[in-house]
Amino acid sequence: MEQQQNLLSTENIAKVKNLLASMEAGDLEKSQECFDELAEMRESELYQEIGKLTRELHDSINTFGLDDRLTDIAEDEIPDARQRLAHVITMTDEAANNTLTAVEESMPLCEQVISVTRSVENEWQRFSNRELNVDEFKKLSKELKSYFEINSSSAIKINEHLNNVLMAQGFQDLTSQIIKRVISLVEEVEISMVSIIQLAGSRPNSNKETKDKENSKLEGPVIPGLEASGTVSGQDEVDDLLSSLGF
Amino acid sequence: MAIDKKMKILIVDDFSTMRRIIKNLLRDLGFTNTEEADDGTTALPMLQTGKFDFLVTDWNMPGMQGIDLLKHVRADEKLSSMPVLMVTAEQKREQIVEAAQAGVNGYIVKPFTAQTLKEKLDKIFERIEG
Repeated sequence: MEQQQNLLSTENIAKVKNLLASMEAGDLEKSQECFDELAEMRESELYQEIGKLTRELHDSINTFGLDDRLTDIAEDEIPDARQRLAHVITMTDEAANNTLTAVEESMPLCEQVISVTRSVENEWQRFSNRELNVDEFKKLSKELKSYFEINSSSAIKINEHLNNVLMAQGFQDLTSQIIKRVISLVEEVEISMVSIIQLAGSRPNSNKETKDKENSKLEGPVIPGLEASGTVSGQDEVDDLLSSLGF
Repeated sequence: MAIDKKMKILIVDDFSTMRRIIKNLLRDLGFTNTEEADDGTTALPMLQTGKFDFLVTDWNMPGMQGIDLLKHVRADEKLSSMPVLMVTAEQKREQIVEAAQAGVNGYIVKPFTAQTLKEKLDKIFERIEG
């Protein structure tokens, strides 16, 4: 619109009149001169427009803050996420193996208890029916003693294994925390990609909300091999730190 | 020294698996009187009923976080002396210090063992008794 107004300005009309007048007068040199003047004016307007567009593009890229954030994501956070996910595999693997080991070690104990119980049960039945002689009773008495021992030691071991199964389930909490972080990274990449598409496809709104990813101060589980500054490496260090604080 | 094994313990964690683990470990240690809450927002009103003697809480939870729950407990006249054990995956020094300053009685980092839980509980009771 503005451009059209400029085009119709009295100055321009005068220039065109000049051109027309010199052409009608057959003044080739003057005509050429006027023509060049008009062409030049047109060109400088074009340059100005390109300049304006370039500046706008530059500004919007800057306000986006996309380039830096994406570099961060590509250089640090994706490899970091890969390591986190690998750690999830390790943890689930450990949990599955610990559980399987506990189950495998419990099963023979249960079988032993069952078989010892059955054999003692038979003899006990015979004893109840008064079918045992003294020697057989002595034998049963010995068997009962070992039966009690086997039972109680098996139960203690099985209880231990069950506790291991219980503790192994802790992976679910920790892996979920890790996976949630990776999901939020994926979301952020998605949002950035959409913004880039918008930037490429049309001029972005200058104040597009830059998503300030909650670089929440909570870090979640420490991943082995990932640098985590200012963290303790286990319960012992927690205890040391707390005792240094007077705990 | 007699620890009252009938004391009522509130277990606060957003993961039900972790709540079950803690609940079972506590039961194994003789503490059978437990209840559960999934974050600070649900835990606080439960605590304010005055039914509880001990609080075990996670840190990172949706809604109200464990550290804020701890601060609320310490600021509440009726609850301020309740022992609080934090069981969390947060291992930043500054966070452990923050929890200590907020008045936590024990701090356990996940993953933890049954033995660690027992030790920390014993220590807390020792201090309360002594």
